Amino acid sequence: MSSNDPKVLLIEDEKQIRRFVRMAVEEEGCQVVEAETVARGLIEAGLCKPDLLVLDLGLPDGNGIDLIRDLRGWSDVPVLILSARSQENDKIDALDAGADDYLTKPFSVGELRARVRALLRRRIRNGESASPIIEFGAVSIDLSRRVVSRAGEAVHLTPIEYRLLSALLSHPGKVLTQRSLLRDVWGPSYVESSHYLRVYVGHLRQKLEDDPTQPKYFLTETGVGYRFQP
Amino acid sequence: MQYEGTPVIQSSERFRLWQRMLFTVLACTGTTLLATPLLDYLDLANIVMLFLLTVLLIAVSLGRGAAVLAAVLSVLLFDIFFVPPRFSLAVSNIQYLITFAVMLATALITGQLAAGLKQKAHEARIREQRTQALYEVARQLAGTLALEQVIEFARQFVRVQLDAEAVILLRDDHGLLATTAADTHACRIEPHLAQMALNGGQPVRNGEIAGSGYASHYLPLQASMRVRGVLALAFTANASELPPENLALLEALASLIAIAVERLHYVDVAHATQLNMVSERLRSSILSALSHDLRTPLTALVGLADSLSLIKPPLPAPALETAQAMHEQAARLASLVGNLLDMARLNAGNVTLRREWQPLEEVIGASIKLLGGALDAHPVRVALPAELPLLEFDAVLLERVFCNLLENAAKYSPEGSTIEISAQQTGDFIEVRVCDHGQGFPVRCNEDLFNMFVRGQTDSGIAGTGLGLAICRAIVEAHGGEIGAENRPDGGACVRFTLPRGVPPVLEEETP
Repeated sequence: MSSNDPKVLLIEDEKQIRRFVRMAVEEEGCQVVEAETVARGLIEAGLCKPDLLVLDLGLPDGNGIDLIRDLRGWSDVPVLILSARSQENDKIDALDAGADDYLTKPFSVGELRARVRALLRRRIRNGESASPIIEFGAVSIDLSRRVVSRAGEAVHLTPIEYRLLSALLSHPGKVLTQRSLLRDVWGPSYVESSHYLRVYVGHLRQKLEDDPTQPKYFLTETGVGYRFQP
Repeated sequence: MQYEGTPVIQSSERFRLWQRMLFTVLACTGTTLLATPLLDYLDLANIVMLFLLTVLLIAVSLGRGAAVLAAVLSVLLFDIFFVPPRFSLAVSNIQYLITFAVMLATALITGQLAAGLKQKAHEARIREQRTQALYEVARQLAGTLALEQVIEFARQFVRVQLDAEAVILLRDDHGLLATTAADTHACRIEPHLAQMALNGGQPVRNGEIAGSGYASHYLPLQASMRVRGVLALAFTANASELPPENLALLEALASLIAIAVERLHYVDVAHATQLNMVSERLRSSILSALSHDLRTPLTALVGLADSLSLIKPPLPAPALETAQAMHEQAARLASLVGNLLDMARLNAGNVTLRREWQPLEEVIGASIKLLGGALDAHPVRVALPAELPLLEFDAVLLERVFCNLLENAAKYSPEGSTIEISAQQTGDFIEVRVCDHGQGFPVRCNEDLFNMFVRGQTDSGIAGTGLGLAICRAIVEAHGGEIGAENRPDGGACVRFTLPRGVPPVLEEETP
């Protein structure tokens, strides 16, 4: 294992879960540093400068959400949350605090590896100079000229649809909460008017997805928000 | 606490009428006797003064009627005993007639004025006393903690101030009146009149039944939110007509009681809410602790079984197969635990829905995506009408409904057959149908299917616990809809459920 391998900090209090998460992450060619508590996790994050943080929300000495808030003061390392299904509010709070993605317990090793891979890839890509042209499926978007086309034909988007599209595109793969999307696209006074967001996401799917009822790119994270999956 | 019982009796009424008349006659005779020896020393004009003084004193002490009698009597006595010729009504000098007239007029007027002033002062004192008593009862009512106290204070007040018996009838949840215990013996109630006062919000009075032991006056207890009940009064004396100031006093008392009753009602409401919140919090903390404690080992189990395939060098094929089987069983156990916990949460009473207005197709898409591999062998066809409005529902819960229904459909229909989801408007509801091309439900158990632990085909060899449809029913019913199952004529099972349409929020048009 070389020192160039990406470092992953795993903060989880359950030993057996740490064990298999470690195996899965190492399989992706990463070094793993473990911590059991919020306090220890923050120290390790400062010491080893990880490339990815895998965080359990329920830790013995505090809430994982507070850890993310602390961390975001001085680091933009991607954070993957592990949480139970019934905790939609915790997921939203964690994502609003700056987490990037979440996995619902119980999860399979395959899912975990896929998320870890995606988050690490995004981190590397962030370093490259961003191209103004984004392509997925038959759709091509030129952010510099504000032109959207599908299978070679121009697609007309209203100003709000375009704003929503670029908000989603600016964080590919990341789960964006309803509140943050409403705030960014419509403004702070609309954060409770979730039906706007739903209707406009519907418009984008109508115009850009092959099958709007079973979308492949603009995915719903039920009860949480949306994700653009390139 | 007791009222200082100061019965309100006018001083002039301390004596009966004939007693007052007797006193008047005695006083006038006394004045005559006193003045007779002075006749030699005093002018007649000064003797008139003595009589006027007597009339004034009588007016002040014995009231208006006595004053009139004293005035007339004084003139007569003066004429008979002092004006020459004495001991006769005849008058020698015609000028004395003027003296009599002036004397009578002066006596009557001063008598009237004095008696009037006294009356006013007396009334003012009574008013003040009542105001004081009203303040006192207001203070006491403001400090009460129980309904019994309110009733007791009100009854004491009515007994002392108005010499009447009071009963307080309170409104129950159905808008009917109920007497409070231990109150019924005070006086009898005419329920019809009480109900009239409650419904109309106006005082109701029936003079004919006054004095018969029945309450004759019924005043609504009008609080800020609603009429809280009725104050019924039975006067001991036969007083069918209440003086207006007493009526005003009663109305003031009624609103004080109403405010006190309303305050106690809200104290109760606040108390109940708090209790509810505490038990709700306890329940949900038990559930989430249980959920955490069950899920943590399951997560480890699923993950560890999975991770066996990562071991280097690779395990032999039979071991990997065992690992795969362990993973599947653990995942099944996890889904069973999830279902049980969901059911517990839904059955725990008040399900708190996070309702938001959203299109139905989105949650259908999310459910299909969530099931992923489980639907590989079953293409899903979604046919929703284009004009389907936004619906208000809890997306997480409705996703459970669609997942459970789609999973069932996939389990009980042959590979390669399609599953169809459709929706249509029926009146105030949207009806959603999830249909497959399998064998359909056994005919006999259509209603039972939605009960817990009931399975359509018990010996089918297909894994399941009979919780899926029960969860669906709990969720749909929490949304105010209905769920039902049927078989299609051309084979295959259909589950249909309804969701209320409601009034979707207005979407502001985008201004380009």
